[in-house]
Amino acid sequence: MAVYPKIAEIIAAALPCEIERVKLEASLIDDLGAQSIDFLDIVFRLERAFKVKIPRGKLIEDARGSLSQAEFEQAGVVSPAGLERLKEFLSEVPQARFVSPVKVADIPRLFTTETFCKIVIRQQRAAATAAGAKPA
Amino acid sequence: MDAHFRAFSFVDRITSVQEGKRIRGRYAIPAELRDFPLALVGEAVGQLAAWAAMAAVDFGQRPLAGLAGSIELLREPRAGQVLELAADLESVDAESVGYSGTAHVDGALMLRLENCVGPMMPMADFDDPQKLRSRFEKLCRAGADPGSFPSLPSLTFERTGGDAGRSVSASFQVPSAAPLFADHFPRRPVFPGSLLMHVNLQLGAVLASGIPPPARGRWVPGTIQDMKLRSFMLPGTTLQLEARLKQHSHDSASLALETRTTQGVIATAGLLLKAGDGV
Repeated sequence: MAVYPKIAEIIAAALPCEIERVKLEASLIDDLGAQSIDFLDIVFRLERAFKVKIPRGKLIEDARGSLSQAEFEQAGVVSPAGLERLKEFLSEVPQARFVSPVKVADIPRLFTTETFCKIVIRQQRAAATAAGAKPA
Repeated sequence: MDAHFRAFSFVDRITSVQEGKRIRGRYAIPAELRDFPLALVGEAVGQLAAWAAMAAVDFGQRPLAGLAGSIELLREPRAGQVLELAADLESVDAESVGYSGTAHVDGALMLRLENCVGPMMPMADFDDPQKLRSRFEKLCRAGADPGSFPSLPSLTFERTGGDAGRSVSASFQVPSAAPLFADHFPRRPVFPGSLLMHVNLQLGAVLASGIPPPARGRWVPGTIQDMKLRSFMLPGTTLQLEARLKQHSHDSASLALETRTTQGVIATAGLLLKAGDGV
């Protein structure tokens, strides 16, 4: 994953922590002690470093996929169908960490360094596709 | 007299605004003030950006201080001067605003903010959205009457320890009551991050006085780097402050600033000192 070294550097600078701790599978909240303000910090640093836009709130929207909000969650708790979709979307997260019930607000607890690598790669591809689709 | 929009408001005219993109404005520093610290100039730029952000989300949310990648401290303004404020928004939505900005006086750059991020919070928790909307319209049209800022409360810390030239620690009590809390914010008083920055700059100056002087001049604050506020600071909270020397050379010194409560670290920043005669 070519973007990993730069992303590890960014996460280590934002938290801050030693870069050696920013392993691909590390949970940002549970393993590295990130708080919500750190997520904002990391997202903005990633946008500047990789020249991509990462719309806030899009992570959860992307995680829902084709499910409607009502199908994905009820009263802030991820539904069984939503959980299956979440496991698929966050395939880098070990299955054992999806302990039902999962609250929507707790979804970021699952995010690992690799989750951010995937986000950046996805946004880079989207940007490239959009650039390629533009008329000459 | 109602302290709302008076006790801690530093934009009295919005001269142009391009929704969600850029905003320009000004603030006349009251002539009778003894001083107007650079931290308040930073606050003025942040407040201008906040007006643009709030207008972009129709006053449903408001930003709070969160992150500042870089705050370049260039010149201290004087009472009676007019700050020309500018902010350019990198992005804004219901969750956050990213911006950079500047403050000039008579064409001279006083302060530059870069890579700032403010988390957006529900407006109604902090203030009356309709009052904010009306105030924004007033600032964009006739502007507010200048000169209403009374002054800051006493913001002094008590030194609690340290090692000359290497570290200094102190205890700081956020005032339990002060006029500024009626403005910041009416429904939920919060100690402004800019004032914590002001207190930390004073602590940095104490540490700087013990560092071997630069080849020429003396140590003066140059740039605050990677300031991050992790938690609200409520009136009456006791804060433990620490400034540590990370490294220094003949013409620069780098300090680490950390603020704690009993709950843990609530704010961090770096402070780059440069050789000079004064900010």
